[in-house]
Amino acid sequence: MATQAGFFGLFVYLFAVSHYTGQDYIGRTVERFFHFDPLIALTTFVASRAFFASLALAGATILLTIVLGRVVCGWVCPLGAVHQFFSFVFKKAKFLRPKKEEKASVSWKYAVLVFVLVGAVFTLDVVGVLDPLSLLYRSFAMGIFPALASIASGLIGLLYGLHINPAAQTISQFMDNMMLNATFRQGFLISLIFAGIIALNAKKERFWCRYICPLGALLGVVSRLNVFKLRIDEAKCIKCGLCTTHCETQAVPYPNEKWKSAECVYCETCAAICPTAAITFPAKAKPEKLATVDLSRRKLILTTALGAIAAPFFRITPARKRAGIKLIRPPGALAEETFLQKCVKCGECMKACPTNALQPALSEAGPEGIWTPVLVPKIGYCEYYCSLCTQVCPTGAIRELKIEEKTKIKIGSAWIKKDRCIPYTLGRPCIVCEEHCPTSPKAIKFVMVETKLSDGTTATQKAPVIDNLLCIGCGICENKCPVVDEPAIYVTSVGEQRSERNRLLLPE
Amino acid sequence: MNRRDFMKSAALAGLYLKVGPALVEGRTETPDLAQVQGENPAAITREALAVFGGMKAFVSRGDKVIIKPNIGWDRVPEMAACTNPEVVRALVEMSLDAGAKDVVVIDNTTNQAKRCYVRSGIQEAAKQAGGKVLFTDEHRLKKVPLKGEWLKEWEVFQDFLEADKIINVPIAKVHSLCRLTLSMKNWLGAIGGARNQLHQKLDQGIVDLQAFFKPTLTVLDAYRILVRNGPQGGRPSDTQLTKTVVAGVDAVAVDTLGASFFNVKPQELLYLRLAQERGLGKFELEKLRIEKRTV
Repeated sequence: MATQAGFFGLFVYLFAVSHYTGQDYIGRTVERFFHFDPLIALTTFVASRAFFASLALAGATILLTIVLGRVVCGWVCPLGAVHQFFSFVFKKAKFLRPKKEEKASVSWKYAVLVFVLVGAVFTLDVVGVLDPLSLLYRSFAMGIFPALASIASGLIGLLYGLHINPAAQTISQFMDNMMLNATFRQGFLISLIFAGIIALNAKKERFWCRYICPLGALLGVVSRLNVFKLRIDEAKCIKCGLCTTHCETQAVPYPNEKWKSAECVYCETCAAICPTAAITFPAKAKPEKLATVDLSRRKLILTTALGAIAAPFFRITPARKRAGIKLIRPPGALAEETFLQKCVKCGECMKACPTNALQPALSEAGPEGIWTPVLVPKIGYCEYYCSLCTQVCPTGAIRELKIEEKTKIKIGSAWIKKDRCIPYTLGRPCIVCEEHCPTSPKAIKFVMVETKLSDGTTATQKAPVIDNLLCIGCGICENKCPVVDEPAIYVTSVGEQRSERNRLLLPE
Repeated sequence: MNRRDFMKSAALAGLYLKVGPALVEGRTETPDLAQVQGENPAAITREALAVFGGMKAFVSRGDKVIIKPNIGWDRVPEMAACTNPEVVRALVEMSLDAGAKDVVVIDNTTNQAKRCYVRSGIQEAAKQAGGKVLFTDEHRLKKVPLKGEWLKEWEVFQDFLEADKIINVPIAKVHSLCRLTLSMKNWLGAIGGARNQLHQKLDQGIVDLQAFFKPTLTVLDAYRILVRNGPQGGRPSDTQLTKTVVAGVDAVAVDTLGASFFNVKPQELLYLRLAQERGLGKFELEKLRIEKRTV
């Protein structure tokens, strides 16, 4: 428990510090958890046919699991800790009454794993949707923590209302320093999914870990030696069956010979609950005789087939044919096809973005691109001297960039809607976009424009024009445009230099 | 009256004529502006205040002082987009030395606030000097009657309303809409709301803001001024070293002198004309008493 709390705390800590700290470069530590995830390493490697050095750390997790079994699930995994916690709470609250004998098959997670892996063979990388670390990070980044930020804001307002100004100010300044992004499209949906997954613990203890988690399944498959083996002291055992009833992952501690080492996560609940202390986990180096991974041939064939035919279905979308107008990817993002093979939808980039600009895609990138990052200038813009998103991507779907390099990367192009632009249409001064354009020389220039007004008079104002070759598509113009509902200047993906098919101006 | 007495009287009269008026009017003779040039931005700021007899002339013991630099952009000092951090440091130190109870440094930034505060160098400099550096807080916005000619009311950060003394410390830059952004334009960082709409009548807007905020002191940082691609610049070649600080109570006069660094006549700046008409200050350079010093 303490170990789990420790790792969970570490996960939250690394999550919380993944922001602009005052340093231009924040290092790779914040994404370390993902590097130890062998499911992400394997699928990314298979789908993209490219190896990413940091993910070699996942080998350590594999080795550990071969030797010790699924200790990572029971002791390290932060999502496992969340599920265990809520299972405990639900059991205490009597929402959950474990059955004496559980009949439901634990094999579904192996089916999920097979689907994900076979998909990866066909270059379809959907692991991010169900990988436990991606799921947890995403839920934190786009659901839980934005909600916390909103609560904090309410609290600050309340404290100011009560004239407890120093406390209000302290919290407010702390929140500003934490730079929590609080606005997310689909934030509600993503929270709802997370809540649903937690609610499942009221049905079965660690429901997710038992039946769904593909990473747990992968670790179950590779567990071999299981050095610490469950042993029931027959002399002490009173055959009450409490151990099997309360086993968190349906590993069947009793009878001893039925113990499924591939399901056991070494939480040792059985040992703790045993009224006669008959259960121990002595070290025994001899490999198990393993018939324990529970996946019938029928299910195996079915899911393999599903994984194999899934890719073409995922790709019926027009997103494959033509670049999407709103599909503005962060700077450093690889070309779309490779990007999708590597992005694990974890939301690290969206957490680190200092302006909240990066948002989870819904349909912009087709079904396989769900929850991948897109820049939404109406919400935030790409901060000129920042390359944090490129630094925190755990799989290299966004290539790491030095600041100088980043400032030169074109991610899209700005356009002007003259019929909504204040100087062009309403004949009043504005050029807020020009003021904010960060490049030097500016990509937004101005020209004097005569506008016929409704009263018949003519106004002459400075109006913006864009030099596309200088524009990097950062979106600050759209973000700051005073025409808030549908900005008179807007950015689209065309011209992005990562794509050969979505280019615009050829060199003269 | 003998000859000796006559000589004595004549000498005394001569002496009186020479220095008398200065002695009699001496107390009101403080110059309108201090213009100090030198290599060290903090040193020239201190000297500029020395012209007025030091910060004690503006800040009293126990005062809550608010210092408003331009921290608007995510740019390092070499880009001259934000106020020089050493100028801010000197002002914080002098305010505290003058007995200020509390010195707050604050600005409503345009780029992401923390990035601006850190990369401008102002956060660190002001903190080291003992100042309290605060991010603006939306909860602290209050809609107040500005009673301006154009802006009747607007949302203002209460930090400014609660301060005893306000020190405006802008940087001199070019701006494509109002041509130059000097001290008066700096007030856009003291307000919230949809401030980008103020561009529709920017000159009137900033004069209304100046009339509302009535700073105790205005210190214009012209150590490194921005001469191109304003108001952000982006390349060191967009800047020019002027190594000057201008200080004064009359912000219109400060801005007038600031404009001269860009060879811009005050009549060419609409907001200066409007400000003078409203009686907010003077912009006839020849009528201003400017004390020039070099350190």
